[in-house]
Amino acid sequence: MRTDDLITALSEGVEQARPGALHRQAVLGVTAGVMLSAILMLAWLGLRHDFDSAIASFGMWTKLAYTFGLAALALWAMERVGRPGSDARLPLSLLALPVLALAILSAGQMAAPNADRAALVMGHSSDVCAVYIVACSLPVLAVAFWILRRRAPVSLTLAGAVAGLFAGATGAFIYSFHCTEGSAPFILVWYTLGTALSATLGACLGRRLLRW
Amino acid sequence: MIAQEAQYREWMLAAQAGDAGKYRMLLTALTGHLRSYFRRRLSDHGAAEDAVQETLIAIHTHRATYDPGLPFTAWVHGIARYKLIDEYRRVKRRATVPLDEASDLFSRDETEAAAARRDVSKLLARLPKPKRRLVEQIKLDGSSVAEVAAEHGMSESAVKVNVHRAIRSLNRSVESQSIRPDSLSERNGDADG
Repeated sequence: MRTDDLITALSEGVEQARPGALHRQAVLGVTAGVMLSAILMLAWLGLRHDFDSAIASFGMWTKLAYTFGLAALALWAMERVGRPGSDARLPLSLLALPVLALAILSAGQMAAPNADRAALVMGHSSDVCAVYIVACSLPVLAVAFWILRRRAPVSLTLAGAVAGLFAGATGAFIYSFHCTEGSAPFILVWYTLGTALSATLGACLGRRLLRW
Repeated sequence: MIAQEAQYREWMLAAQAGDAGKYRMLLTALTGHLRSYFRRRLSDHGAAEDAVQETLIAIHTHRATYDPGLPFTAWVHGIARYKLIDEYRRVKRRATVPLDEASDLFSRDETEAAAARRDVSKLLARLPKPKRRLVEQIKLDGSSVAEVAAEHGMSESAVKVNVHRAIRSLNRSVESQSIRPDSLSERNGDADG
């Protein structure tokens, strides 16, 4: 086909394609993914047994604030990696802030007199925490890839990693309604690990699934 | 800022709103840039033309991902570069892709001339201002000695002497950075005279 004919074919009867449509798709997708993941978590693991009293606890809010912060920054980065000529470095470098804040909080808790440091880090569910977080992240990961496949990511591994990061942080947010841990060092180690595993999974899948 | 940015962006916004005429103008204009971009980077013209068409189709399919808040030329360059990497990967010819920027896509073949201009202006900056002005007017702008002499209220021979000295001092400063055999013999000649 001659290039001139291609231009004619593409431009004739071109339909509206406004960026707003992509935003609506993303909002819809993220909402669906979060709901799916929440249903999965509630049906499989269940809400923590002491939820009514725990919802007011400092540990619960530490988990929610940390995972929400990571998820919001990852979503911002995802919005950028899907657009050519856009730069995700700012949201990605801001990820250091929630991690740093939690690290400071953890150091404070570890340094307290009579602190049982091993218990603060290992809790009683360290063996399953990261795996459950990855499991809870899978529906969101599927949706994040669906969103990015409708866009034009120019770096597939980075785009996949950002999608995995968003899914991991969202999965961790949802998992925190089941998990009864509340110490900052535990969250710093195991929640971050679960989120990072999901980001790694996304990075591995990106090259295969996001090509266009 | 790339010169064509405002024009192309306007056409793109019209295209996103469904204006076929503007969209056609945009694709036609972009084809010129894309063709020279791919021809310079891919060995044969057939592959380059395929890459042009691939990129046009990608621009079309993904036109909603252009956010009006961002530079349009950077968006097109991102897509062209992605398609270039795709092509390299397909023929497995090169593992790494040279870094380039949006301006490389929209500058056609002027990159070498632009680099030379930058070097000249860097060199000229070393001259005292009045002399620099004389050199610029005569050697770069192409003014005649008589015109420049009249403008500066100098005699024509004074202008000639000043320009000659300025050029000689520039030659020396270039030589002092990279000493070549031919420039050495020239300097010996100077010492004799």
